[in-house]
Amino acid sequence: MKIGITKFPGTNNEQDVTRVLNCLNVENELLYPRDYRKLKDFDALILAGGFSYGDYLRAGVVAARTSLIDELHDFIISEKFVLGICNGFQMLCEANYLPGVLTTNTSTRFISKWVNIKVNKTNSPLLKGLESKVLRIPIAHYEGNYYNTEASIKQLKDNSQIAFQYCNEKKVVESMSNPNGSIANIAGIVNDKGNVLGMMPHPERSSFHYLGSIDGRSIFENLIEELKC
Amino acid sequence: MYSGKAKDVKIYENNKVKLIFRDSISAFDGEKKDIIQGKGEANCRMSAKLFEILNEYGIRTHYHSMLDNNTLICDKVEIIPVEVVCRNVTAGSFCRRYGVTQGLELLPPVIEFFYKDDELYDPLVTQEVAIQLEWMTKKEVMLMKAVTRAVNTILVELFDMISLQLVDFKLEFGRTHDGRIIVADEISGDSMRLWDKETGEVKDKDRYRKDMGDVIQHYNDVYDKLSKLSKLPELSLSTKAQVIVKLKKTVLDPAGEVTLRSLNRMNYQEIDNVRLGKHVFVNCLTAPSSELLKNLNDMSEKLFSNPLIEDYSIDLWFEEER
Ligand SMILES: Nc1ncnc2c1ncn2[C@@H]1O[C@H](COP(=O)(O)OP(=O)(O)O)[C@@H](O)[C@H]1O
Ligand SMILES: [Mg+2]
Repeated sequence: MKIGITKFPGTNNEQDVTRVLNCLNVENELLYPRDYRKLKDFDALILAGGFSYGDYLRAGVVAARTSLIDELHDFIISEKFVLGICNGFQMLCEANYLPGVLTTNTSTRFISKWVNIKVNKTNSPLLKGLESKVLRIPIAHYEGNYYNTEASIKQLKDNSQIAFQYCNEKKVVESMSNPNGSIANIAGIVNDKGNVLGMMPHPERSSFHYLGSIDGRSIFENLIEELKC
Repeated sequence: MYSGKAKDVKIYENNKVKLIFRDSISAFDGEKKDIIQGKGEANCRMSAKLFEILNEYGIRTHYHSMLDNNTLICDKVEIIPVEVVCRNVTAGSFCRRYGVTQGLELLPPVIEFFYKDDELYDPLVTQEVAIQLEWMTKKEVMLMKAVTRAVNTILVELFDMISLQLVDFKLEFGRTHDGRIIVADEISGDSMRLWDKETGEVKDKDRYRKDMGDVIQHYNDVYDKLSKLSKLPELSLSTKAQVIVKLKKTVLDPAGEVTLRSLNRMNYQEIDNVRLGKHVFVNCLTAPSSELLKNLNDMSEKLFSNPLIEDYSIDLWFEEER
């Protein structure tokens, strides 16, 4: 079992993800944009965050047009798992593997802080056992404002594809807890099959006690568990 | 299919036409008419030669091949009823219309539009009117202007090599069955003004208009000199484009809001809406064409903008270097 972690010029979260996977004793390897032919050797892929290609034009779009992300098409079709974190989520949206787009925070500020997110019921094994829990988890982004058309938001709701929503400690999804202006407080979504998860918060930064939270760790554990079966 | 003042157009196989050049010559919107032996042939081969040269530089034209001495095989097009005239030096109707002397250099070259209608004496028409009356679309004008300037750059340099000055010329454009805009009709001594750089001698249709004689001799002289050229001018044509990306009206623009509040604080109270967009400048290493415009559309859809939240518009033009 081997998990790939993408590294694009300008991303900076791959080492944090590597540390979590090493801790969980799972073989992993960094994948660079030119490594697209290697993709088939991996059982799952994590798109680590950062500022790929300087986030020029729109966050994640330049990375989304590389061969590596192009090749993800078949990877996803074959129902292998893909987890996009922060910039990785932005890439998944810009590449149309997930619906919607992440635009500038309504505050026009870069936001780096701890938030609470509510886990909704989805068909994704990556969220197994987490349903209706509240995770304490950090965000750090400038473009985390999830946008989509009204019709698509309704569809996401109807299909139970909204994985995470920003909420308060009492699990109430309310506008005060919305850090960036995302429609319906959306912090993460899954595709219809449930094998692609995109999220703005950083589970790799909430996987150790010394970081202040281990709430994010279960997502990686779920992934590994799934790959074992 | 159609018979004009100087040529016949006949349907040919698969979306092509035969353009048959006759010996008839006319001027002043058909008021002055004559037959000159060999004129059809002269213009036919001159057009073929110039279309071939333009093709070398990536200009898209209707020309395919020469069938015989006075027939060209061309793409069948729907002619846009607006002729584009490009002037490097003042002459002819420009001098009469604006009361200026002949021979003044126009830099950058001036582009004018004329509505193609003999009964109305091919009147000058503004871009705005031609679009309003649906003779051409905004996008077509943009392309026609860019292509005309590119053609001008090529022809100026080409004729310079044989010591001739390209004073002005006229182009017609057509729409192909698959929606491209290409250069059509003819490019010959009938559709341009050429002066000898040293002697000032007239080498074009003005010889006929002004009864100077030896029309065909001069047409053929230009053709012979062009034929003797061993190489074409070295030009690296490039087309400029700018893509403006705007957030859709329905999408909140936080940066625009912040800018608006700043303006209001600066006491510009009359402003109530500010939207910030992106401006992408693109330099393309090809001549302007419908294909290039289509590629720019693709680029805008795939990369420059996200169709979910943004709209885009494309501006394309050709700049004479020098
Ligand atoms: N490729 C083409 N397909 C269809 N019509 C064309 C094409 N090229 C030129 N024409 C048209 O053929 C007509 C015949 O030419 P010409 O004798 O110069 O006519 P006119 O008297 O209208 O100027 C013109 O109206 C011209 O616009
Ligand atoms: Mg004509």
